[in-house]
Amino acid sequence: MSFQDLFRLAWQSMWFHRQRSFLTLLGILIGIASVILLTSIGEGTRVYVLSEFTQFGTTLAAVNPGRIETSGAPGALGVTVNPLTLEDAAALDRIPGVERVAPVVMGAAEVEHAGRSRNVFVYGVTSSSPEVWRMRVRGGRFIPEMDWRRGAPLAVLGPKLSRELFGDQTSLGRHVRISGQRYLVIGVMQPKGQFLGFDIDDSAYIPVAEAGRLFNRLDLHEIDVLIANSSLIDTVVGRIKRTLIERHNMEEDFTITTQTGMLESLDRIIRIVSLAVGGIGAISLLVGSIGILTMMWISVNERTSEIGLVRAIGATSTQVLLLFLTEAILLSTVGGVLGLVAGIGLAQALHVYLPALPVSTPVEFVLLALIVSLLVGVGSGLLPARRAAALDPVVALTEE
Amino acid sequence: MRLSDLLRFAGGALHGHRLRTVLSVLGVAIGVASVILLTGLGEGARRYVTGEFASLGANLLIVIPGKTETKGMAPLINTAPHDLTRQDAEAILERVRSVQRVAPVVIGTARANAAERTREITVVGTTRDLLEIRHLKVARGRFLPRDVPEAALCVLGARVARELFPDQNPLGQLVRVGEWRFRVIGLMAPRGTSIGLDLDEIVAIPVDTALRVFNRTSLFRILAEVRSRSDLDGAERAVLALLRERHSGREDVTVMTQDSVLATFNQILGALTAALVGIAAISLGVAGLGIMNVMLVSVSERTREIGLLKAIGVTPSQVTAVFLVEAAILSSAGGCVGLLASVGVERLFLRLYPDFPIQPPGWAIASALAVSFSVGLIFGILPARNAARLDAVQALMRRKT
Amino acid sequence: MIELTGISRTHVVGGNPVHALKEVHVRIETGEYVSIMGPSGSGKSTLLHILGCLDRPTAGSYRFGGQETARLTEVELSRLRRHQIGFVFQFFHLVPRLTAAGNVELPMVFAGVDLEEREHRVRQVLEVVGLTARATHRPDQLSGGEQQRVAIARAVVMSPALLLADEPTGNLDSASGREIVNLIESMNQKGLTLVVVTHDQGIGERARRQIRLADGEVVSDQRRDGTGMAESGHPTSADGA
Repeated sequence: MSFQDLFRLAWQSMWFHRQRSFLTLLGILIGIASVILLTSIGEGTRVYVLSEFTQFGTTLAAVNPGRIETSGAPGALGVTVNPLTLEDAAALDRIPGVERVAPVVMGAAEVEHAGRSRNVFVYGVTSSSPEVWRMRVRGGRFIPEMDWRRGAPLAVLGPKLSRELFGDQTSLGRHVRISGQRYLVIGVMQPKGQFLGFDIDDSAYIPVAEAGRLFNRLDLHEIDVLIANSSLIDTVVGRIKRTLIERHNMEEDFTITTQTGMLESLDRIIRIVSLAVGGIGAISLLVGSIGILTMMWISVNERTSEIGLVRAIGATSTQVLLLFLTEAILLSTVGGVLGLVAGIGLAQALHVYLPALPVSTPVEFVLLALIVSLLVGVGSGLLPARRAAALDPVVALTEE
Repeated sequence: MRLSDLLRFAGGALHGHRLRTVLSVLGVAIGVASVILLTGLGEGARRYVTGEFASLGANLLIVIPGKTETKGMAPLINTAPHDLTRQDAEAILERVRSVQRVAPVVIGTARANAAERTREITVVGTTRDLLEIRHLKVARGRFLPRDVPEAALCVLGARVARELFPDQNPLGQLVRVGEWRFRVIGLMAPRGTSIGLDLDEIVAIPVDTALRVFNRTSLFRILAEVRSRSDLDGAERAVLALLRERHSGREDVTVMTQDSVLATFNQILGALTAALVGIAAISLGVAGLGIMNVMLVSVSERTREIGLLKAIGVTPSQVTAVFLVEAAILSSAGGCVGLLASVGVERLFLRLYPDFPIQPPGWAIASALAVSFSVGLIFGILPARNAARLDAVQALMRRKT
Repeated sequence: MIELTGISRTHVVGGNPVHALKEVHVRIETGEYVSIMGPSGSGKSTLLHILGCLDRPTAGSYRFGGQETARLTEVELSRLRRHQIGFVFQFFHLVPRLTAAGNVELPMVFAGVDLEEREHRVRQVLEVVGLTARATHRPDQLSGGEQQRVAIARAVVMSPALLLADEPTGNLDSASGREIVNLIESMNQKGLTLVVVTHDQGIGERARRQIRLADGEVVSDQRRDGTGMAESGHPTSADGA
């Protein structure tokens, strides 16, 4: 018996009971559509989050004070007996393979101009920060090269902060007060938008020594290191570690997080979450395949005498098995393909309605959905098909 | 037709087709069980978080240095131009009448040495009142003395004590943190992790000493306990006003209440649970389709029976009722089986994770059962109407093929 | 062609053995026209099922074309039915969703005959049974007689050696019944071995050889020329007579 004949016979029987077949495959359709929709949202989110992180470059490593094992999160406490210092940052700058180093002191402060004020994040930075963080100045210039330990009353504003304080007017060449101190605005950053919902444009940048004075602390929150190229990451991280341990009385009281390491763990977390959500969506698929099982079982019962007949005219029990299995697979794959179309369509429609919600349906998902619906057909069709194949032809023929 | 007759009639029909009945029930059961379990998980997560915060004490104000208007997931700030000091904490206790206890807190990581052993610890610089405010318990010895902000004394968390002094009594021994030496005066009872801080990993020392150890001038935060919940709002305003006055007229601190943090968490978890339950509920719809399909088949199989019923004077609405009851029995049975299954899974879950209070709320169970019942009614309508519309003569005449 | 020796078939019903056939001996030569008659419960359907290789005897030997069927596997039996045996039933057993042509084609589908050949043969046999005009009709659009003719076309489309008909006229009016009998008899005249099971004396007595069954035993085996076969047969079945 050829494949085309199997397919044709299965199709004829599916078409003969159109209403029933439609309702049966609707279950699979809904199941596949919801799994595809949910995993598309999950995948979209993953791609979005990863691109949010890679916008800072992939060869970035962050050094934070304190050990992650003790505090739970690096920098969350940010306080240690042996803090990171500007001298530490300078030492890292001398390591071969390190392109640039950006020491950071950050805190919250009030920025004022002409009676308007705004509480924002203020970052103490150096001239290397734009390159390390991949940021650009829109107007004026960034904090110039200077001795890290000496400050200058200069400030660069984020575009949102500039707008909030100066409205449509330029802030360049004007003065702001940060926590009462006067600073000359020498630059405005290009809009960078939000980073995972946190508005980067609503902040101010001042020389790192100024921030140390402002916040009354001599130690750093973080040292960001730009590594020359990605093949060097492991080597350079090893060198950073050795250098700092040497400088810190042989104690490893800091944590190094590479961007790639961070990306990997984020990637893993989001994949697990979307797998879990997709799994909950797959419950519908399970219920849908029970529907196929039920319908095929009913079909075998109804067609008992037909099974007897085809056995009498020479069909083997294997052929009968294949006949019913093909019907089940046809139901599930037609449902699967329609569900795939519906799922992708819904995902795209959702994206049009809510542009903030990223969606993405990779080819692997499509293939996987097709394979899964095929397997659903086999799984739910096997039991009824085996029952059909096992029927005694004499009993089946005389069944009325 | 009496309801009991209707049930008996429908039950007989279902019994005749055991496998398809079982499968239809199974579909609904899976849907109902997953909805109930996910609600239970969501509710459990909510309770877990609430419990974590409740261990903080319900009447707590948390004062953090720094303030921003930046939206989004800003990191918790603890650096600001104006220091938050122990004097601020004392002023809050003195001047805000509804505040009955305050504890200034400095937190940092350090390495601790004792005899031959070394390990990473979390240093908490604070005062005596932290004990009551965080409901901590001292296992042996005593906690930090009252009104002594600066002294070389320490209290060890349970695991720190065990690992630094595996085979001797830590009380009275010396622990070195950085360049400093501390005499152990007390041991904490085991407590575990609370809001991201492992309390068994801490070493508590007097607050001013901690500032010197870490070379800091500003506190990490101030915890203030008010007398009753109703005082929270007033106390929050009073604390803000007091600190503005003390910080040369600038409002440069953030005050959080447990309620506001909890409300945010509840909102997030609520939305999450609703979304997951919604996704799981799709499977109930699919199960409903299955019931509809089986009922349609059943109507066409029983055409002659329906013809006979009509011939002996059964009205169309009674025929409708017969099939609707059959569908409703299927789906309600599925609801009950699903409920039982979810109870079983919950038991298993509780045995594996005794700390996580998975428990679906009563309304969730009630509505899952109500939904399963109505699934049968809704998806039974079409087949039942098909049955009622059958022409008696044609139905009787129909040849059996 | 067919040689049944000491065939018995025992069913177990409700824990008790029921002997449907007891020690049956029958030989059928190629081209014969045999009717098997007897009251219901006499075992004639069981005998037909065994002849058609749908059922296996509990004891005895069945040789088809010189081959012992007991030694054949299920798949080999299916192949034997496919190529050597055609079935016609009382209730036609047409597949309701297939057209007349589709039903006739079915045995060739399972046999893996290629499409061109199939079309050709379907056309041929439909012409033989006189249903060329009805090829695209479904069973529910055909009369009883037409349905049975489709069934006959399906039974002979693989050019079998043996045609088994189980009450072929049982569900038809007498005019259509006559047509059907004429049709299969004409096929017999062209050399097809024909075995008809019936309880209708009028139909049964048209056969050149008539076998009567009662309680699972052959009670008489006669040729129309008058030669009694019972005595020349086997003593066991004669004892039962």
